[in-house]
Amino acid sequence: MKALGLGLGLLVASAFGLTEEEFLKLHRELQADPSATWRTIPWKTSVLDAQAAAAREGKPIFIWAMDGHPLGCT
Amino acid sequence: MLDRESTFADPAIVKLLQTRFIPVAIDQAYQRRQNDNEGKFYQKIANQGPRKIGRGTTQGLYTADASGRLLAFTNNRGATRVLGMMNGALKKHRPVKAAAIAKGTPDARYNPKPPKGGLVVRVTSKVLGGYEEPDNEFRRIYQTSLGRDNLWIRADEHSALTKGQLPPSLMKRLARFHLVDNTRGEPPMWEPNEIKKLEGTLRNGQLHATVHLRTAKGDRGYETELLGRIETKAGKVTRLDLVAKGEFWGEGTYTRRAPKDRFPLAIAFTLADGKDAADTIPPQGSRGWVRGYIR
Repeated sequence: MKALGLGLGLLVASAFGLTEEEFLKLHRELQADPSATWRTIPWKTSVLDAQAAAAREGKPIFIWAMDGHPLGCT
Repeated sequence: MLDRESTFADPAIVKLLQTRFIPVAIDQAYQRRQNDNEGKFYQKIANQGPRKIGRGTTQGLYTADASGRLLAFTNNRGATRVLGMMNGALKKHRPVKAAAIAKGTPDARYNPKPPKGGLVVRVTSKVLGGYEEPDNEFRRIYQTSLGRDNLWIRADEHSALTKGQLPPSLMKRLARFHLVDNTRGEPPMWEPNEIKKLEGTLRNGQLHATVHLRTAKGDRGYETELLGRIETKAGKVTRLDLVAKGEFWGEGTYTRRAPKDRFPLAIAFTLADGKDAADTIPPQGSRGWVRGYIR
């Protein structure tokens, strides 16, 4: 791998205290938890995909309709 | 994000959604306007509920059968009400013989795709402190939640990054649309003239930037620094990890109840691997005008 970086050891402390250590810590802490309960729900993102599955499996469709995408920003 | 941590964290609701329903999550602001088969099917369902197409938001929770017949609706997020709505729908539901509806030609305005040859970057944000003690569970969820969005990077910007260059267009997009507090709802984005300082360097794969954002009235702003690391292999970016940390102040129409005064806000960026359904969601800042976002 061609890494353009020289290493995080060169990161300098910023005005907001963003040191190498905090950079790594915050980056890790701000990743979404893949095991969060709501993620265990098999959400589709297309109502027509849901319609096809509903027809095939004989199940009703459940639509979570929000302003802004529910899986994204809201 | 309130729904994620409350309604959709309820074990009984989750079990029903996993086993008895076909769950789908959509941005109704797009879906109610889309002039294509995807939009028309949603509009058919929504029009049977209390919130009609053409009269503003159709936000809520709907259940329908495969023909598009509405079974139940609620815009309440309480677990008891939602469970009641779901159980009522199951009682009403009779499997219908319905063919899968062809997708046809998608309405391009509401189906933006990430730029070919570009990158999708996950963006997550968190308020690190400054809140008063929450007086209820819903407020606690808001105060501890992660905001989530995607940053789109153009092919030419991707190429520039592999050459160790930091495209101004990318930094401007990042500042205007992604250095926002989206932890409590849809945030206002920054206007070009609200960027007061935007300086960044990329040296040996190490990114360092300083960004100051402020409204004309001064009632909302963010002064932050970014640190990060970019790695490449065979002409492609293989790692893009950034963190912004700084002081934010103010709130937007849909992001009320921010901490008083200045508060610490951190925003992290990392390459999307496509394994998260949310990786496919267009950036919030692209809603309504993708070209304005990606330029």
